[in-house]
Amino acid sequence: MTPPPAHCILNFNKTVFALIIINKAGGLIYNRTFHEGGLNKISTNDYLVLAGTFHGVHAITARLNPLSPSTTTSHRTSISSTATAPAGGAASAVGGGGGMLTRPEAPSGLEVLETENFRMQCFTTLTGVKFLLFADTTQTNVDLAMRRVYDLYTDYVMKNPFYQLEMPVRCDMFDRKLGSYIREINNR
Amino acid sequence: MSYYFAIIGTQDNPLFEYEFGTSKQGGDGQARFAEQARHLNQFVLHSSLDIVEEVQWTNGQLYLKVIDKFFTSHISCFITGSNTKFLLLHQPPGATTTSSSIGGATTTTARSSTSVGANPTSPQTEEAIKAFFTEVYDNYVKAVMSPFYKVNMEIRSPVFRQRVAAAGRKYL
Amino acid sequence: MAHLGPGKAASSKEQAGLRYPSNGKSIYHRPLNRTKTAELSQSSFAYLFSEMVSYAQRRVTGIQELEKRLNLQGHPIGLKLLDLLLTREPPRTQTRPLTIIALLHFIKINLWTHLFGRQADRLEKSSNPDTPDEYMIVDNEPVVNAYISVPREMSQLNCAAFVAGIIEGVCDGAMFPARVTAHTVGGKEEGEMWPGKTVFLVKFQPEVLEREALIGKG
Repeated sequence: MTPPPAHCILNFNKTVFALIIINKAGGLIYNRTFHEGGLNKISTNDYLVLAGTFHGVHAITARLNPLSPSTTTSHRTSISSTATAPAGGAASAVGGGGGMLTRPEAPSGLEVLETENFRMQCFTTLTGVKFLLFADTTQTNVDLAMRRVYDLYTDYVMKNPFYQLEMPVRCDMFDRKLGSYIREINNR
Repeated sequence: MSYYFAIIGTQDNPLFEYEFGTSKQGGDGQARFAEQARHLNQFVLHSSLDIVEEVQWTNGQLYLKVIDKFFTSHISCFITGSNTKFLLLHQPPGATTTSSSIGGATTTTARSSTSVGANPTSPQTEEAIKAFFTEVYDNYVKAVMSPFYKVNMEIRSPVFRQRVAAAGRKYL
Repeated sequence: MAHLGPGKAASSKEQAGLRYPSNGKSIYHRPLNRTKTAELSQSSFAYLFSEMVSYAQRRVTGIQELEKRLNLQGHPIGLKLLDLLLTREPPRTQTRPLTIIALLHFIKINLWTHLFGRQADRLEKSSNPDTPDEYMIVDNEPVVNAYISVPREMSQLNCAAFVAGIIEGVCDGAMFPARVTAHTVGGKEEGEMWPGKTVFLVKFQPEVLEREALIGKG
C-alpha cells in the first residue's frame, strides 16, 4: 500500500473505531468502541451474533484457500501486501513473513474486510484468539496498532491471575492502557 | 589450641557444631578437649547466649569479638542479620592446667606466644577469628539460600561441614 | 540441648545419602555476588506470580485468607534476603539494623533496590498519636501488581500482600516482630497518576517500641 499523499495525513477522519476480541470457540470476549459515531450502534446481542458469524465465515475462508499448503510455504507474502485485498472481498491466505518456517502454516483465512466507511482488520493469534480492529479506511499502520493491542492483551490480560481463559475480558488495567493507546492514535 | 564452634538459631537451638584444633604452628587440626570438657563446652557456649542478647543491641556490628570467659575458655561471637549466632569457644594450649598463664609472656613458650589464639584477646587473634567467621557466614548464607532450607533448621550438608573445616584450617 | 554428634561420624553417615548435581557443584560452589546485578525477565516473573496468586486462591474462604497466604509465601523470602543483603554490604556499612528507622531504611533502600531495581517511594510514620507503632512504606507502582487487575468484587485485595510478607520476614528476622499489610490507596479515576499506589503498613509489636525506648535512653 502506498503511503497516502501529504494532504490526507491531516484528514481528521483517520480513526480507530472499535475493537472486538473473539475467543477460539467463536464467543465474544471483548468489545469496545473508541469513537462515537464512527460505526452504528448495535445491541450487545448483535455483537454476540456478529462474533459468532464472523468466526464461521473466517473458518470457511480459511478452507477456501486456493493454494495447497505445500505451495503456501514457498509462496510467502507479507501481511502488509495482503492488506491491499479488494474492497469488500476476502481471503488472502498467506501466513506471516519470515524465512524460518519449517512447516506450512495453516491458512489464515479472512484478514481484511473493507467497505466504504471503514476497514476491518483481523488478526488471529497462535492460540486461535481473533482480534478485529475497525478503523477508518484512511487509517495507516493498522498492523502496528494491531500488534500493540496484542501486546497489551498478552501483558494485561494473560498475565492477570484473575483472568480465566476463554472468558470475557474484564481487566481494568487492560481497559486503561488500551484506551490511552487508541486515544494517542486517534489524536495524532 | 582447641576450638569448639557452634551455630545457634533464633530459638537458642543448635543448628550446627564442629570441634577442631589449630592447624597453625604444626598443629594437626585435632581438638584436644578432655572427654568431660566436651560436654561442658556445650553448656559454656550456651550460657554465653545471655550475654549475646545484652551486647547485640548496643553494637550493630556482626562480629562482637570475645563476649564471655569461663575459666580458660573464651567465647567469640558473630551474629548474623537474621539473629543466628555463631559462637566459637577457644582454649589456649596448656591453659587447662595453668590458668594464670594466659597472655603472660614469662610463662608461655616462644612458640605458642606467636601463634594465633595464644592470647585470645590480642588483635591478631581477633582478626583471625573474624576472618573465620566471615567465611563461615558466606557459606551459611549459601545454606540459607537453598530453597529446601527453612529458618532454624539443622544444617546437615557435608559440603558445609567441609567448608567450615577448611576455614578453620585456613585461619585458626 | 540436643547433641548433634561429633563431626566425623555425622558427616560420613550423611555423605552416603547425598546426591551431588551432575557437574559436582553444589550451592556452596557458587559465588554469592555473581547474581548481584543480574536481572530477571519481568514477563517470566509476571507469569510465575500469576500462578502463585491462583495457587493461593484455591479453596480460600475470603480475601483476608488469600492475603494471609500471599503473605506467608513472601515471609521466608524476607528472612533469607536479610542475610543475603547484609553479606553483600561493603564491610564498613555491614551493620545489623538496631533501630526501627535503620531497619525501615534498609527495607526502603537495600531490599527494594534488590527486588525491584529502585527504592521505595516514601517512608512515613503514622501521624496518629494513638498508633506510634505504625509506619508506612509507600510504593507508587508495585512491580508485582504491574499486570494485575483485581476484579471489582475483590476490591479489598492487593496482591502486594506478597511483598508485605517479604517485609514482615525482614522485620521478624531482624528481631523487630511486626505485622505488615498492603493497602491500595490509588484512586480509580481516569486521570489518576498512580492508580496502583500501595501503602505497606508496618505495625510493630509493643516489645519493639519498649526496647527502642530503652536503647534510646542507654
